Amino acid sequence: MGGIIYLRLKKQLSVRPNAELKVKDIAYISGPEPLVNKVKNTFVYQITESDQTVSVIDGFVVVDQLINKFQDLDIQHIGPNQIIVHIAKQKKRPSVILVAFIWVLLFIGSAMAIMNFHYDVSMEEVQEKLHYMLTGKKKSNPLWMQIPYSFGLGIGMILFFNHLFKKRFNEEPSPLEVEIFKYQQDLDAYVTDKENMLNSLHDTNK
Amino acid sequence: MIPISSLLEALVGFASGLLVGTGFVAFLTVLGIIPRLIQLSKTISYVKPYEASVIIGVLFGTYLSFADVTFHISTIFVIIWGSFHGVFIGMLAAALTEVLNVFPLLTKRIGMDNHIIWLLMAIVFGKICGSLFQWVIFVR
Repeated sequence: MGGIIYLRLKKQLSVRPNAELKVKDIAYISGPEPLVNKVKNTFVYQITESDQTVSVIDGFVVVDQLINKFQDLDIQHIGPNQIIVHIAKQKKRPSVILVAFIWVLLFIGSAMAIMNFHYDVSMEEVQEKLHYMLTGKKKSNPLWMQIPYSFGLGIGMILFFNHLFKKRFNEEPSPLEVEIFKYQQDLDAYVTDKENMLNSLHDTNK
Repeated sequence: MIPISSLLEALVGFASGLLVGTGFVAFLTVLGIIPRLIQLSKTISYVKPYEASVIIGVLFGTYLSFADVTFHISTIFVIIWGSFHGVFIGMLAAALTEVLNVFPLLTKRIGMDNHIIWLLMAIVFGKICGSLFQWVIFVR
């Protein structure tokens, strides 16, 4: 039984605890159809309690299992080198209280941060001085400057986030979304390194 | 007829607001406080409300900075407000040290790779003590 099988691991997978992972669950397979049908139900990994919430399966482990079962199979492994398996008990909705807490935290934090900034740079003094320079009159609350300032503040932030609530200005993701993506990518890179069984085996042999 | 100086003032005000606004949000974004909060609470779908929270918060803060208003609310509200402010500044300070790679450098230099928690605790308690000292003793 010869022939080439192309194996492309999925990047991530979300499964229930104690799931039994087969090749077709964790990878896309291509090749001659009879071969694919044989290969796709090959057992790869059994999720156990000790995996806790995340497990990483290295592409090498998959190839190893397949070669053990089908001696003369030519396996071409393309794509990601490992798959991150998230083990979720149940997909639960985030609680409203938690979201409300974070909302209030960001709200108060931003309000205080901007107030401290205004006092720190003596913004009101500067505005009054500039009002005097422009009009020659002393005035304690130069609203002609403060109200446009406030509008500018809001508009500047909306421009940065790249959307006004639902509406987007263009196809680009907002810097915040990019930052969230980068953060997730860092976490994934950490997990693939630390949770990979092959890597930890190597460490104990040192 | 609106005097030209007022229009000029409005222009200056609007322009400075635009810059401060983008700068403020860029600062928060670079420090990664919102991504961290989202990751902790698993609320990726609520990004937009959080952005709105920051924007409304900043506008409210601007109103408070420039207007002479008094709300006659109980001390309990002040305690809640202060606690939230503290948590936010705490995250800001922690994120700042994190961005500057203080800990990885320090632990490598003095060979404390596995005891990073003690350094963290030192910073946490140092911040609490320092803040209490400043407000209770130093500025009085």
